[in-house]
Amino acid sequence: MTGKAIATFLARRLAAAVLVLLVVSVVVFLLIHLAPGGPEQAVGGEFATPQQLANIRASLGLDDPLAAQYWQFLSHAVTLDFGSSIATREPVVDAIRSGLGVTAPLVLVSFLLICLIGTALGTLAAYRAGGPLDRATVGLALVGASAPAFVTALILLTIFGVQLQWLPVFGDGDGFVERARHLVLPIATLTIAGTTAMLQITRTRVKEVLGEDHVTFARARGLSSRYVIERSVLRNAGIQIVTRSGTIVVGLVSWGLLVETTFGLDGVGSLLVKAINARDIPVIQGVTLLIAAFIVTVNVVVDLLYFALDPRVRMQREVRA
Amino acid sequence: MSVPDARLALPVRGRSAARGRGRRRRRGRLPLSVALSAIFLLAAIACAVAPGLLAPQDPALIDPASALQTASDAHLLGTDALGRDVLSRLVAGARSALVGPLILTTATVLLSTFLALVAGYLGGWFDAVVSRVADTIYALPALIVTIVIVGVFGGGWWLAIGVLVLFNMPTGLRILRAAVIERRDLPYVEAARTIGVGRWSIMTRHLLPNLEPLIVTCFFLGFTYGMVELSALSFLGLGVPPGSPDWGRMLAENRVQVSQNAWAAVAPGIAIVATVLSANILGGWLYEQLERRKRER
Repeated sequence: MTGKAIATFLARRLAAAVLVLLVVSVVVFLLIHLAPGGPEQAVGGEFATPQQLANIRASLGLDDPLAAQYWQFLSHAVTLDFGSSIATREPVVDAIRSGLGVTAPLVLVSFLLICLIGTALGTLAAYRAGGPLDRATVGLALVGASAPAFVTALILLTIFGVQLQWLPVFGDGDGFVERARHLVLPIATLTIAGTTAMLQITRTRVKEVLGEDHVTFARARGLSSRYVIERSVLRNAGIQIVTRSGTIVVGLVSWGLLVETTFGLDGVGSLLVKAINARDIPVIQGVTLLIAAFIVTVNVVVDLLYFALDPRVRMQREVRA
Repeated sequence: MSVPDARLALPVRGRSAARGRGRRRRRGRLPLSVALSAIFLLAAIACAVAPGLLAPQDPALIDPASALQTASDAHLLGTDALGRDVLSRLVAGARSALVGPLILTTATVLLSTFLALVAGYLGGWFDAVVSRVADTIYALPALIVTIVIVGVFGGGWWLAIGVLVLFNMPTGLRILRAAVIERRDLPYVEAARTIGVGRWSIMTRHLLPNLEPLIVTCFFLGFTYGMVELSALSFLGLGVPPGSPDWGRMLAENRVQVSQNAWAAVAPGIAIVATVLSANILGGWLYEQLERRKRER
């Protein structure tokens, strides 16, 4: 694997990512113009007088040509300046920053738990396919996959928060310990939601790989089960598991929004929900662009992981490059 | 764009169950889980068709004097903050819970079957464009895009359905397109081509009937997706209008009083999970049956 091939591949992926983000920025910019009544109505609210609307048009530069307005929007957006919230007058960046204080640990910890529990259980289930553990996990995964995150959240909240009163059920808490306590149930909800997906893909793939000739051969050579699983099976199943991890991370953003709403956490997700209900366009634009950037990054990381995992992908790229 | 292949988009249960369990179990015997799922879905359909006959009380009757009661003989699941009977609202909510996903999945299956047949059979630039667009849509978070669009354009249930059809299409498209590609060079299609059967006829009369088990799978899969997405939308206050009995909305409205009457919020939640689970189990079983019948013929 030459450094040049990696560099070419990376450059190409990054260029594509930037292109996608530019397209998203156009769509997000147009959002404000597509809103019923136009942007001045969205900003001024339902009861704004014609005079107020004209003032708003002037102050937002809405009488400029569309292209000039987009350039204005984009040049501010790259410096993370999305303007101020219409509802609270707070700069959008600050609102997002304080939201990330809740959402980042929520999504990160959940994702780590999903990877650990999902792959471990999935591998075990596939290894003893048809056994009691396998049947139990498959059954539980089916129930888990059928439960929307906000229902799981509500049931956990009712049992552990209200009936047993072990954990707080509302708000995000101040200081590290309190915040951690407030995040236990939300993290548990997201972990349950994501683990089922991770478990299913791992189980299916590991079962398939276990039946392949190279595994039989490795066993015939007398290699230990552990070695076979770690070096041979999981590595071969890796591509699909990594692909699925990408969709799970993207899913965590959606589910996180429901979970944050259920537990009254002031994260990025509930910021977006509140902004939508208040038709707070600058906040919607900021959060949507942030989420788009996140998804694009996840996809680039997934592609890079293919490289690391599968020498066949590396060879292919090298031949093509 | 990183996306799994169509094989993996298939529900795990469909394939593993078809292989493992099918032979062991005597044919003709209905598994208990399938029977229970069918009974539950039939009950839900009955509630949706005739809520007036089945609901013990008027679901919209507001009675502040008996607000937030816990379960009792008069109100089997208690009452909500306005004193409305939770059980009656649960029964009445079955209609909006089932109708939305049904419309959604029907439209989605029609669209994805059509696109899969044309793209898979003809190939070429049309296939490339459709696949690329589908992959892009698949990589986006459906729920977030839907709430942003529905929110900015000012609500609207039909708008939500339209956006979700577009977002649920890729899953079915991939499963069906892969199946079409697998079959398009099989001897029976080749034979039809040789005797001069037109492209459209081959697609609708030769390929389409053979996709039946997969289309059924996609229908149930789409139903479960739709149910989860639509109830999430109404949970966030963006689906059905306020006040109407809807499981997602009940859950959102009653979760604040969960310490007074937990059933008011938990019962609609359980109803959503039970419906989705039943549709999953029934869909998997139907697929298994149809596949076996095809093989034995």
